[in-house]
Amino acid sequence: MLPAYRRDAAVKESKIRIDGLKFYYKKRMVLKEINGELEEGAITTIVGPSGVGKTTLLMVLNRLYESMPDCRVKGRVEMKLNGRYVDIHKLPVTLLRKQIGMVFQVPNPLPMSIYKNVAFPLKLANVKDKIIIEERIQEALIDAFLWDEVKDRLNRSALELSGGQQQRLCIARAMIMRPEVLLLDEPTSSLDMEAALKITRLLVDLKKRCTLVVVSHYADLTRRISDHVLTLKDGYLSTNSKMMAATEKNNPTEDIEYGYAKNQGAWNCQKLSK
Amino acid sequence: MNRFIQYSITFFAWISGIILVASLTLLLAFLIYKGIGSLNLFLIFGETKPMDVLLMRKEVLDGLFPAIVGTILLITASIVWAIPIGVASGIYLAEYCNLRWKPFFNFMLDLLAGVPSILVGLFGFSLSIFLHRHLSEHIYPCFLISSMALACLVLPYIIRTTEQALVNLPFSVKTTGLALGASRLQNILFILIPYNLSRIISGIILAIGRCAEDTAVIMLTGVVAMAGIPHSLLAKYEALPFYIFYISSDYNSQEELMKGFGACIILLAVCAVFFTLANILKRKAEIRFATRL
Repeated sequence: MLPAYRRDAAVKESKIRIDGLKFYYKKRMVLKEINGELEEGAITTIVGPSGVGKTTLLMVLNRLYESMPDCRVKGRVEMKLNGRYVDIHKLPVTLLRKQIGMVFQVPNPLPMSIYKNVAFPLKLANVKDKIIIEERIQEALIDAFLWDEVKDRLNRSALELSGGQQQRLCIARAMIMRPEVLLLDEPTSSLDMEAALKITRLLVDLKKRCTLVVVSHYADLTRRISDHVLTLKDGYLSTNSKMMAATEKNNPTEDIEYGYAKNQGAWNCQKLSK
Repeated sequence: MNRFIQYSITFFAWISGIILVASLTLLLAFLIYKGIGSLNLFLIFGETKPMDVLLMRKEVLDGLFPAIVGTILLITASIVWAIPIGVASGIYLAEYCNLRWKPFFNFMLDLLAGVPSILVGLFGFSLSIFLHRHLSEHIYPCFLISSMALACLVLPYIIRTTEQALVNLPFSVKTTGLALGASRLQNILFILIPYNLSRIISGIILAIGRCAEDTAVIMLTGVVAMAGIPHSLLAKYEALPFYIFYISSDYNSQEELMKGFGACIILLAVCAVFFTLANILKRKAEIRFATRL
């Protein structure tokens, strides 16, 4: 349990607690003192200027930093697993990464078929039963709003998909292990507006199944669908309540769609909400 | 940059390419022109009937057949030694090696790559003498020693290409599997190696070429002019490059020299078969990687 003065009153039930986290790259201290809680079943967005270590923070959460040379971490990160808080550094790393999915800035499908891509984590987990595999693939693709588009061509290469579809494929691939937390590193920044919007709407839907942590730059869509916005600056993390206005509405994506329709002029609300 | 320099660099590049292709064509044309006349079944099988030879009923005494079989077996054996050790070392250097030790290993590897083949042969020869004295009276320079020495000779090619292929992968590819919960070994087996298979196989093709042509190593470690097809790993054997070497250094008649040219063409053909096989394997593996589980 964190001391009271460090607790964030806005967070009801925390999924991940970060306490006194410091991150060193070689001798340089990238993250100086990170404290915070990420609410369960909510979207938490981390914003901040580029190069400040937002991606690094995500990589600490699933311990991906360990595959980079010269990196060191101090402090505690705890994740709630089956009702108990567990230090992530004490979990086996492969188990942790199956609980915490990650989606990168640039879609990174493997050069294999769509089927193989989505099934890949199951292969890693040694699941052999074909029926289970196909069930889970369908479930994950439906979760990622991709099933209708790809159900007839699961054997085609994933590289034939468009950028937005590839990104949703990566989300499906991360979701197939039914992770409790999903980390997304600027998931929409390499996509065009329409694809980005689709992903944004998808994230709101995914909130029902897992906790989402999104890194985003200031002007991004995702900030407006988040329940909490944290700002990372100079190696410190702080809550930023001013940016939370959009979350008070009942249907945040509607607001976004309306906003885009108004701003872009050319955007057609009917088409988008299809 | 100065326009003149730009043009001259382009010109130089073109000329180099043309010279390279032209000399290769010339070489092949010369070989074929000289060797095609002597290239017939008699050259390969001698007086024996081809069917008898292929069914292992009779041995060929005056043809190239034993040398062809010897070369094919030798290449296969050396590659079988070299691939697992080479690929594993490459993976170790790229993925597991401690940063403090890496320069040392790299230096040793460069040293190994720079060792002249005659020294490798000498090493194999000394090894066989050592084993003869201390292990068993039956060990002489033989097929086994030859194939191991050749494997040493070609190891650096395979290690380097594997290592470079793995090191040069973008960070995003390296972390894709890890982020999905792959262990380090799974990441290597399921992602890094399939991604790099074509490059690793290019290294193997280089190694095959080197195994096929090398004469110095095998000369010191067990090849002889007349041995027939080797019956065991500890037997002497014949090989095409050695045949070419001795026929060209002491031929008695013009006809014998022509046989040497014929042997050159056969050696090229053997290499071509190996390269094609490697490429087919590469294609197959890529397709398997790309399609359904």
